[in-house]
Amino acid sequence: MTGPADIIFYLLAAMTVGAAILVAILPNIVYSAIALLFSFAGVAGLYVYLSADFLAATQVLIYVGGILILILFAVFLSNRISDVKISNPSRFHWQAAFICLGLFGILSYTAVSTAFPVKAVLSYQPTTSEIGELLMTRYLLPFEVASVLLLAALIGAAMLSRPDGGRGRPAEMEEPKR
Amino acid sequence: MNPLFDIAVSVARIAVFFAFVFGLVVVMTWVERKGAAYIQDRRGPNRASIMGVTLFGMFHPLADALKFLFKEDFIPDGAHRLFYQLAPMFALAPAILTMAVVPFGPPVTIAGKQVALHIADLNVGILYLFAVSGMAVYGIVLAGWSSNSKYPLLGGLRSSAQMISYEVSMGLSVVGILMVFQSVQLSAIVRGQGELLFGILPRWGVFVQPLGFILFVTALYAEANRTPFDLPEGESELVAGYHTEYASFKFSMFMMAEYIHLVVGAAVLATLFFGGWQFPYLGDSGFAFPGGISVAVPAWAVFLLRIGSFVGKTLFFCWLYVWVRWTIPRFRYDQVMRLGWKVMLPLALANIFVTGIVLLLIDRGGF
Amino acid sequence: MPLGNLASLSHFLPELAVTATILLLVVAHVVGGNRQSAVPAILSLAGVGAALLLTALQASVPAKSLFEGMVALDGFAVFFKALTALATIVVVFLSMESEELAGRSQAEYYIFLLSVLLGMFLLSASTDIVMLYLSLELVSIPSYLLAGYLKGGGRSTEAATKYVVFGATASGVMIYGFSLLYGMTGSTHLGEIGRALAQGEATTPMFLAAVMVAVGFGYKIAAVPFHMWSPDVYEGAPTPITAFLSVGPKAAGFAVLVRFFYTVFATPDAASGAWVLSPGVDWTALFAVLSAVTMSVGNLIAVKQDNVKRLLAYSSIAHAGYMLMGFVLLSPAGIKAILFYLVVYLFMNLGAFYVVILVANRTRSEEIADYSGLGSRAPFAAVSLAIFLFALTGIPPFSGFIGKVYLFAEVINKGVYWLAVVAALNSVVSLYYYARIIKVMFLEDPKDKSEIAVPAFPRAVLCLLAIPTLVLGVYWEPVIRMAENSVKMIAF
Repeated sequence: MTGPADIIFYLLAAMTVGAAILVAILPNIVYSAIALLFSFAGVAGLYVYLSADFLAATQVLIYVGGILILILFAVFLSNRISDVKISNPSRFHWQAAFICLGLFGILSYTAVSTAFPVKAVLSYQPTTSEIGELLMTRYLLPFEVASVLLLAALIGAAMLSRPDGGRGRPAEMEEPKR
Repeated sequence: MNPLFDIAVSVARIAVFFAFVFGLVVVMTWVERKGAAYIQDRRGPNRASIMGVTLFGMFHPLADALKFLFKEDFIPDGAHRLFYQLAPMFALAPAILTMAVVPFGPPVTIAGKQVALHIADLNVGILYLFAVSGMAVYGIVLAGWSSNSKYPLLGGLRSSAQMISYEVSMGLSVVGILMVFQSVQLSAIVRGQGELLFGILPRWGVFVQPLGFILFVTALYAEANRTPFDLPEGESELVAGYHTEYASFKFSMFMMAEYIHLVVGAAVLATLFFGGWQFPYLGDSGFAFPGGISVAVPAWAVFLLRIGSFVGKTLFFCWLYVWVRWTIPRFRYDQVMRLGWKVMLPLALANIFVTGIVLLLIDRGGF
Repeated sequence: MPLGNLASLSHFLPELAVTATILLLVVAHVVGGNRQSAVPAILSLAGVGAALLLTALQASVPAKSLFEGMVALDGFAVFFKALTALATIVVVFLSMESEELAGRSQAEYYIFLLSVLLGMFLLSASTDIVMLYLSLELVSIPSYLLAGYLKGGGRSTEAATKYVVFGATASGVMIYGFSLLYGMTGSTHLGEIGRALAQGEATTPMFLAAVMVAVGFGYKIAAVPFHMWSPDVYEGAPTPITAFLSVGPKAAGFAVLVRFFYTVFATPDAASGAWVLSPGVDWTALFAVLSAVTMSVGNLIAVKQDNVKRLLAYSSIAHAGYMLMGFVLLSPAGIKAILFYLVVYLFMNLGAFYVVILVANRTRSEEIADYSGLGSRAPFAAVSLAIFLFALTGIPPFSGFIGKVYLFAEVINKGVYWLAVVAALNSVVSLYYYARIIKVMFLEDPKDKSEIAVPAFPRAVLCLLAIPTLVLGVYWEPVIRMAENSVKMIAF
């Protein structure tokens, strides 16, 4: 059963996976970052295809509009990364290819051969308010724990980026020696 | 029903809104220069003429467009050719996409069928808006990097840091609105603003979320790279910022993107905080002023008043950009960052907190 | 029925205490002028101590499912909460003594430490995949930061980088396994997944999911072949953190491994108290091999090490292998043996690391050669280290021996004799390298004969660690009874 909808799915999947492969094999890290943009956009497209409107918008908002920009930011600030082609020096080609292809074979065989239980197709429903409701009821604890995790990660980011060698205060704030 | 009708309506809607926004963009370039001249007490552009008619310099945008088209399309040595050419497209495309979710007017009935004056009435309208406008930064960053020149690179970096910082406060400043109107769908938010607050004031976003409005406007200016936040292209420091190395039509694409951002930003501001197409005290059948006075208005006039109301608000906010630009000086970069993270973000969070408490109290108190 | 969110709060006090302490530490960091003061350490001690007390109060509470089925409050969870809180308290003591950390900002260090503790609390109690993954990350991400806390030092940075890369890969594989489980059952709740799986027969995706999830947990407990990160991380991280990682997250990893496999792939049989395993997969053989490989690789590589921290890293891999022996049996008795061994392991391993810190504070070295003559330079520390090392070897009358006896006994009872033989051989190998340190300490002449003073406070802490190590070797009855009572898991 291949209708127009299925073609859209395959196009999106090809875009996601193809861009992801490019991320891995392109020699220049800036190209990798741009390829990642298309991979993220493909995932957002898959969410749309599955009528997960909130997830799709959030995917674009956070991954494309936030995380990837920061990656690019870091790449541009450390400009030598984009000149030296160090992002993917590879060794052990054959061993890696063997393991990866084997894993790919097993996973794809499993995915194709298994009869996963499928829910009846639902008509399109807006998901935003339902997600909000679930976050405040059933998934309240994970929601709150995530905030602790993010707090720790935030403090960690500040700790790592402070130019003081971890000594607690920036160099210029050091008290003058008398 | 007839699928052709649906397609025709869609195409017509896109064409009309496109024309509206692009027309406004052209007008804005004129307003910008004329407004600057007015505020600085000088004449401004007044030379371009057709057969001796100058019409207050109205022909300047036309002359500019022609000039952009016929200038040499030039790529500097050492530029990254692919990204250099892609960057203007990356800048322009998201800007055009954002206009899709802004409701221009109330639904109208054409040939027995309801037609929403929207290109797409998404359920996640506001999220879509933020998501797509967040992508605009790619154009700037790529332009800055691919030009292989230091000023554009600095402009691009400044821009990405600034846009990410202010996107956070911008998103949070709108959460209050979402809480009050219980929706992320723009059409639902506009409908919600048609009611009255305490029976006197229209229930516009600006009245229920004054702090949210101030934060949103500030963040909007920062996101659009407008003065006082135009650090990415600060002329006195970075020549012209990220588009220093661009010429010809590519340059004009950046300019277009910037002005579309302004226009759509103004429209969103009107939609979220000033009732969109709602005209104060105007119901479907006519005016109903507080105090029981009501004036009947024919349906076509109601419709026109509402569209006019939206256009008027949008025009006002467009003018506000110009007004602010030529009045307020530019911030220093560390000031921009401090304002974003240490003032806007805490205020936005506090605004959400207070809004939540007030809504809870209203819910409990039942008034 | 699971309790609702509000009703759960009163059963969530230890976690709330830890969270409150984290927030207090943030405030202390912002307000406090002196970033090197001892206030954060004392604050953390108070917070974790309070959490430990509140956990102790939960011991008698009947088992419950909290927060709409996200976490469980049962004997198993309470046991691990107490264990990890205890480990954290000891690590705070270790950190207060460590010279490595003395010049660094204190509050942030303890914020990360307590975040890991919160993660471990939740990890051992999670009964939902969403919660489980989140708490695993809550353990992992601050751990990365702690491993790299000696910012600017090459080894510490290397440790953090490797830890992140391996951790992300393991998480990714594990999540894929979760997605298979969700795809097969349509639920994220461990109990529901278990019930759904019990109805069908064993299938390829089920086996695949089990293996992939085992990768994620195996990474946390540093089981071979997912151990590659641990020697470098253990060597590069600040020593108190090395001690912490080798005990705390490892224990939490075992907790989640046991709970996950028993609730998802086995059905508890209420009558006999045993678990009925999903058919079709030879779990015993699978985990027996994993256990044997882990202990052998850990011990054999440890033999060649000249750096004490690296040696202890490999030895902790070997100990994970021993503990996996209890998991092989898939019986309550086996879990009881794991729990008991974890208690013993906590004291002996943290004790050994404490001596390493005390010595390194003075000699600035972690090489075994620099331990020569420690018996005369710092007799107290050397004797304590000898006790801990003998206990780690599993020689009677030290507590490590009793721990091993329980593990061996259960393996032999079940008839997996070859595993018992492998483990016995491994113990002999481990005797070689542990005894080598002892030999260097007592039989070799020091190059530098100056005395290494051990102040009164570290002495007291060392005593507190050495006494249980000795006492549990002769009188272990209460702890084993506690472990026996804690083998109760619920899965609604």
